[in-house]
Amino acid sequence: MTNEVGIKVENLTKIFGSGESEVRVLENASLEVKKGEFAALVAPSGAGKTTLLMMLGCVIEPTAGKIWLGDELVWDEDRWSTPDTRRIRREKIGFIFQAHYLIPFLNIVENVKLIPLVNGWPDEKAEKKAMELLEYFDIADKRNAMPSQLSGGQNQRAAIARALSNEPKIILADEPTAALDMERAVSVVKMLRRIVEEQNVAIIMVTHDDRLLPYCDKILSIENRKVVTTTQSAHLIV
Amino acid sequence: MINLAYKDIAHSYLKFIVTAMGVGMLLGIVLIMIGVYRGMVIDAQVLLDDIGADLWVVQENTLGPFAESSRVHEDLKNTLRVNPEIDKTAALAFLNLQIKTPDGIMKRVYSVGYDPHGDLPAINPERLVAGRSIEKSHYEIVVSQKLGFRLQDKIRLGRNIYTVVGITKGAVSSGGDPVIYVSLKDAQELQFLYSNARIRNDRARGLKVDADNHLVNAVVATVVKGSDPDAVAENIRRWKHLSAFTVSDERNILTKNVIETASKQIGMFTVILVGVSTIIIALIIYTMTLEKIKEISIMKLVGLPNMTITKMIAQETVTLGVLAFIFGNLFAHAIWDKFPKRVVLEMDDAWALFSIILVASVLASLFGVYKAIKADPSAAIGG
Ligand SMILES: Nc1ncnc2c1ncn2[C@@H]1O[C@H](COP(=O)(O)OP(=O)(O)O)[C@@H](O)[C@H]1O
Ligand SMILES: [Mg+2]
Repeated sequence: MTNEVGIKVENLTKIFGSGESEVRVLENASLEVKKGEFAALVAPSGAGKTTLLMMLGCVIEPTAGKIWLGDELVWDEDRWSTPDTRRIRREKIGFIFQAHYLIPFLNIVENVKLIPLVNGWPDEKAEKKAMELLEYFDIADKRNAMPSQLSGGQNQRAAIARALSNEPKIILADEPTAALDMERAVSVVKMLRRIVEEQNVAIIMVTHDDRLLPYCDKILSIENRKVVTTTQSAHLIV
Repeated sequence: MINLAYKDIAHSYLKFIVTAMGVGMLLGIVLIMIGVYRGMVIDAQVLLDDIGADLWVVQENTLGPFAESSRVHEDLKNTLRVNPEIDKTAALAFLNLQIKTPDGIMKRVYSVGYDPHGDLPAINPERLVAGRSIEKSHYEIVVSQKLGFRLQDKIRLGRNIYTVVGITKGAVSSGGDPVIYVSLKDAQELQFLYSNARIRNDRARGLKVDADNHLVNAVVATVVKGSDPDAVAENIRRWKHLSAFTVSDERNILTKNVIETASKQIGMFTVILVGVSTIIIALIIYTMTLEKIKEISIMKLVGLPNMTITKMIAQETVTLGVLAFIFGNLFAHAIWDKFPKRVVLEMDDAWALFSIILVASVLASLFGVYKAIKADPSAAIGG
């Protein structure tokens, strides 16, 4: 772990709707995850975990507060630092959603190398990176398969490979292991742990599985619309 | 970079091709409709062009043989030739007849009577696909291919049997009926054909029975090189108590007076059809784009720029347009000659239609993309 900011949030508030239909998800929530730190986000269903991750990933707009990704203040009270928030997402963030969200008309390897290509990588480099990741996740033989031909677990592994393809410094993962069996789930988390250590990445991972918590440095939970942080010492991977 | 449009089309190519074919058939029908309109205008002028005269001289205060009935004396052709500015002349008789085709069906035909030994033969040699023009003064007939006769077939007209000596292709009257040619003498006889009973009747009443067999419907003329047909026509009108029209007057009469309501009808219909199919095609494209709202949301989530997404949709739209255009033309060219009247497919019309449809389609798809991009990502992907 370093002392550099990975993800930092100050007084973040998110209110959906207004009047009768108003839903207050977060109020003045703050948190910090440093580079090289692996945080688990644990809270009951409906507490606002996905909403928090979507705000950190610049997908939905907070109502108020501040968000830093690395040293860039990306949300400042009422606006993004740039109109092109997707650039932040594809250059800095690896996003693993609850569903795999692979592009249905691209095969697995194309899905994985798409973002590096959009980021301007030459084709061989993107291809090499994609194949490395697919091999790591044991689906290299499915490189030419379409998402519709794979199982939920295989697609989810491809989606994780995609999230890592742009070598992000921040990884946001919304229940990445929910579709995987325990063995695979542990292997994915170990792999994320290794990336945290080797590449100095900051990770927030939503999970419901207590068995995965020992791999994390921090446990974030949402209580009364605020984020509560518990620091622990993680099982390091050697 | 991966070509997303190509990948998307390849992924659901059957649906894409079926849509392109559907849109193409709609375009094809519009093309045929435009072709029907063009065909009417061209049909109206076929005889005029085939006869190739500079002047049409007809009965005073009438508009000529295609617009209303006109009778002039046959020897007007000799009188006119006195004018030094007039080169060749010919007398022509026109009449509608019913003819029994080899299938036994009665068909309406437009018969043109001309002097086979005259200066201006009415048959355009380019239209003859078999046999020859009329050579004898009696009982020879040249028919249109559409009627289904073969050379040497015998056809009964009035009291006489005619022999088919020639077959033409594409000769039609201003109304689109097939044209047959007979000699002027035969035409005059057919025109003033009286039944035996009527002749007996008239004789009994002491009426002169012999019809004046020397009337024709029009005398046409060419002017000598360098003469102005307008001036010659003006001259004829002034001195001879006749109506005289130049070929362009006659063309105007044909397109403005004779086929005006029919062509306006078809023209209006064509315009509406173009409008309606543009709207339908734009709607198809718009729905196709909105159907991709989920894919577009995913592309937004993974961080693809709007430009990349818009480019993909625009490329797919243009590809669909081009495919539909090809299908449309294939379709139109496959069926146009099954129509009973002339259909004229012109590439210029096809291109104009293509531009209209393409602009509408691209606008519709851009509007669709705009809506898809504006949509709340979390709503579109369900959390
Ligand atoms: N687009 C939205 N509009 C209104 N309410 C929403 C929207 N998205 C989420 N919510 C509400 O916000 C709360 C948090 O949702 P979510 O972040 O999905 O919870 P979690 O991921 O922790 O289960 C829920 O009460 C949910 O109904
Ligand atoms: Mg959730």
